[in-house]
Amino acid sequence: MVSSGASGTANVALRDDELSRIEERLGREPSVVELHAFDAQWSEHCSYKSSRHHLKRLPTTGARVVLGPGEDAGILHAGVVEGERYGVVVAHESHNHPSQVVPFEGAATGVGGIVRDVLCMGAEVIGLADALRFGSIDDCHPEPLDSARDELSRRTHQVYVAESAVDGIGAYGNAIGVPNVAGDVYFDAGFDENCLVNVVALGIVKESEIVHSFAPKDADGWPIVLVGKATDPSGFGGASFSSLSLDSDDAELNKGAVQVPDPFLENVLMRASYRVFKLLRELKISAAFKDLGAGGIVGCSAEITAHGGYGAQIDLDAVNVAVADMPPEVIAVGETQERLLWVVPPEIVPEVLRIYNELFTLPEVAFNARAGVIGRVTAERRYVMRHRGEVVMDVESDFLTGAIHDELPYTEVIRHAGAVDELPAVDVETLFPQVLAHRDVCSREPLYRRYDAVVRGATVLPRGRADAGVLAPIPGSRLGVALAMGGNPRYGRIDPRYAAEHAVLEAMRRVVAVGAQPIGLTDCLNFGNPRKPEQYGALLAAVEGLAHAGTELDLPFVSGNVSLYNESGDGLPVPASAIVAAVGVFEDVGDVVTPGLKAPGSTLLWIGSRELVVGGSVLADVLGIEGPLPELSYGGERAAVGIVHDAIARGVLRSCRAVHDGGMLTALARLAFDAMLAGRSIGAEIDFGNPLCEAGGFLCEVSDASGIDLTGVLRVGESNDTPELIVNGVRFELPRLYEIWSQPLAELYP
Amino acid sequence: MSARIAVPVFPGTNSEDETVRLLRDCGGDAELVHWSEADALRRFDAYLLSGGFAYEDRIRAGAVAAHDRMMDFVIAAAGAGKLVFGICNGAQILLEAGLVPGTGPARRPTAAFAKNAPSAHFVCRHVYLKLAVAPARCAITAALVSDALVPAWAAHAEGRLAATPEQLEEIVSGDHLAFVYAHADGAIDAAAVPNGSALGCAGLVNRDGNVLAIMPHPERDAWNFNHLDRREGDDVLAPSGGAAIFRSFVQALA
Repeated sequence: MVSSGASGTANVALRDDELSRIEERLGREPSVVELHAFDAQWSEHCSYKSSRHHLKRLPTTGARVVLGPGEDAGILHAGVVEGERYGVVVAHESHNHPSQVVPFEGAATGVGGIVRDVLCMGAEVIGLADALRFGSIDDCHPEPLDSARDELSRRTHQVYVAESAVDGIGAYGNAIGVPNVAGDVYFDAGFDENCLVNVVALGIVKESEIVHSFAPKDADGWPIVLVGKATDPSGFGGASFSSLSLDSDDAELNKGAVQVPDPFLENVLMRASYRVFKLLRELKISAAFKDLGAGGIVGCSAEITAHGGYGAQIDLDAVNVAVADMPPEVIAVGETQERLLWVVPPEIVPEVLRIYNELFTLPEVAFNARAGVIGRVTAERRYVMRHRGEVVMDVESDFLTGAIHDELPYTEVIRHAGAVDELPAVDVETLFPQVLAHRDVCSREPLYRRYDAVVRGATVLPRGRADAGVLAPIPGSRLGVALAMGGNPRYGRIDPRYAAEHAVLEAMRRVVAVGAQPIGLTDCLNFGNPRKPEQYGALLAAVEGLAHAGTELDLPFVSGNVSLYNESGDGLPVPASAIVAAVGVFEDVGDVVTPGLKAPGSTLLWIGSRELVVGGSVLADVLGIEGPLPELSYGGERAAVGIVHDAIARGVLRSCRAVHDGGMLTALARLAFDAMLAGRSIGAEIDFGNPLCEAGGFLCEVSDASGIDLTGVLRVGESNDTPELIVNGVRFELPRLYEIWSQPLAELYP
Repeated sequence: MSARIAVPVFPGTNSEDETVRLLRDCGGDAELVHWSEADALRRFDAYLLSGGFAYEDRIRAGAVAAHDRMMDFVIAAAGAGKLVFGICNGAQILLEAGLVPGTGPARRPTAAFAKNAPSAHFVCRHVYLKLAVAPARCAITAALVSDALVPAWAAHAEGRLAATPEQLEEIVSGDHLAFVYAHADGAIDAAAVPNGSALGCAGLVNRDGNVLAIMPHPERDAWNFNHLDRREGDDVLAPSGGAAIFRSFVQALA
């Protein structure tokens, strides 16, 4: 019999109808622990209750899919090395609300969580990426100002949020030794009160050695081993916190729901876990391993057992805690970081505990950190929890972890039809410098140089030097992995569905532009309050867009995340943000397209849309005009990818850039900058209708265009040996352009 | 029997695997030794302290690790003339252990790698190490050419050499300044220094030339696939670039 009835429903986000459902099923009032357990498990954050049924529309299968959505991370087939099949593990998560409240800790814990999601698949963690959306920093000032209330000070706050979040990501990734190789940063007033911090982690695993997130066959009676940091009161209520809108008046209160990062401990946990993987390999033993994320001990232990068809018995007194006499509900659902859960056969428990506690000395690495048995798997599918000898929770496992969903009313998003806008007469001479200095185009180096992009010694293309990051993750093998992200908030403001499609295209093109074969995707849907029909409608439109693009391009989504309730205090949602990561592979990483123009006299080809639409572009922002987004042609897109790959196969592709923010001219400037940084003084001359429009495609430098199928391809110019770009007859000096492009963020982040 | 190199792993070390891999690719016989198995360090002929954040860089980078039991063995080995090479966090530990520049007693540092300046943030930047002593001045660099340029990545928040004017003078007069930061063409100026380091210092050697500490990571620009500007036809898996200093280290043990 469960000991105590609910003392009240204060501080839980469960709705009345959900409470009645629980009472009805239990046949009694839930205990305090049960109340908090359901509060976490049934939160939007854990249950995806308003999105899960719609996400089924995403394509998730294909020849490359080793493991689709459903566990802690997805896995794509990367290639075969010495007869062994390798998978690339990928997970994608947001840490938006915590990062708004305490940016350093919020962003750092986001990295820690996503790394454990990849680790627990039995993988070696090889890379990180992040997509960041911060408030506007236009007209801001690097020094804090006197008046806390004036507009400039508000802007200064945005500078601080961005810097702290970046430092948090860097502090975590750098310490655990995982290179950060890809991602993007946008600044937009739509994120002033609700920033977005999306993180992606990559791992590599032999497909025969994948560790799953559920208890395997014949696991009845197996011990459940909790590993990591001592459970403390931090992060209590984190799951429900993520599922509510932020109210600035509650800023101090909300801080309690944010977890505390310890990358030092995670560094050791990772290495100790690699040793346990080795043990499992040697003994050929199946086990289950899972990160403790939202919902803490309850969420993880209930899912790792229920998803294998079991129940669990958990003894809270066996949990290593940081503070004496914590209430059982805090131990049970608190979201202390750097914890993982194993389900292993009893005979290897002593060795697993020895590895963590003695070889890697967890108790000396962090206060009361360790590995210990906290319960066991049961054949009966009930989740039973004891505290000080009393049963504080006793529920059906499947009821606790089962799919719940909310059918919510939504308003269909009508596509901004509008005729194709008139192309303004573009004064390239005046506008190009403005575009290069624009907040969405200028160099991000002052921020990303705070990330270690090269630890592990496997980096082929580090962050910021090309359209995608590239790694050679298997020692002694030529196999390469590419990673890139996309998701343009200027597009999101205009049309959630088309923005989602463009996000897929941008991420894919970036991976193609470095020479990789795109093989799969992940997504994070960052939207507003699903209980507002127009905001829910935007989410559904974005899902439709992702599904359509993924299907058309034959790219499956193998993992993802949904983050809702991203809105301001006034109830305005953030710009619709379907953020996508694309994974690509190389059979031979030597085929990577390296940065920068290579030689004078090369032909410059434009492979992409001829549509001169400027809606959503940086140019439109600079000019203050609006319009529909560029049209999409998947047939044209597939053909463009084919041409790029063909040029690589023929050995004629010298350099390449995908065109996105800032248009073709920005892409050309980046190619010239990279050549300049490498000591090659190469300029170019091009002619193109509006070289600042952002209709997608690739700008390619080829040594010889004669073998290339030129259908749909435009020769736009040639490279030369001058330190200049000549565009439609207008002359720009490269060093001057470089200064314009590299200065804006350097002034804020010296 | 070839000389055996230990790569000690402190809690927080993060560059141990690629360090061992490169040593092996350069012909070295290297293995990891874990902090809980410190006694094993006794059996080795040379030591390479790799990058990371040992003991979370508490107090000052390297300060706590310098007092770890593993360093008892390393300090004794250095005193006995064995080769000791530290990179990044390993270099910070060697300074905190007083082994380089080695102008004071063990564990009484006479210089430190302090917070970067003017920006105190972590910086990840490609750099070149330029050999500033005669190659034979340090056993570990003996196989490099004079004025050798070694490509590497600076990746640290605490890499600025700091010491009193007297101690800096001693570093110069005692020929301890092993490496300085340089541009790709070998030119030396303030713009080549990523962290405000005194003397443009990127590396220090002790008096006897058997202990070397460098801040940037040559092992992260050490295989052809790491080079952004590699030549066509290069075997992408072959060691090159930063591997030169690892080769020199391994050769010194032959």
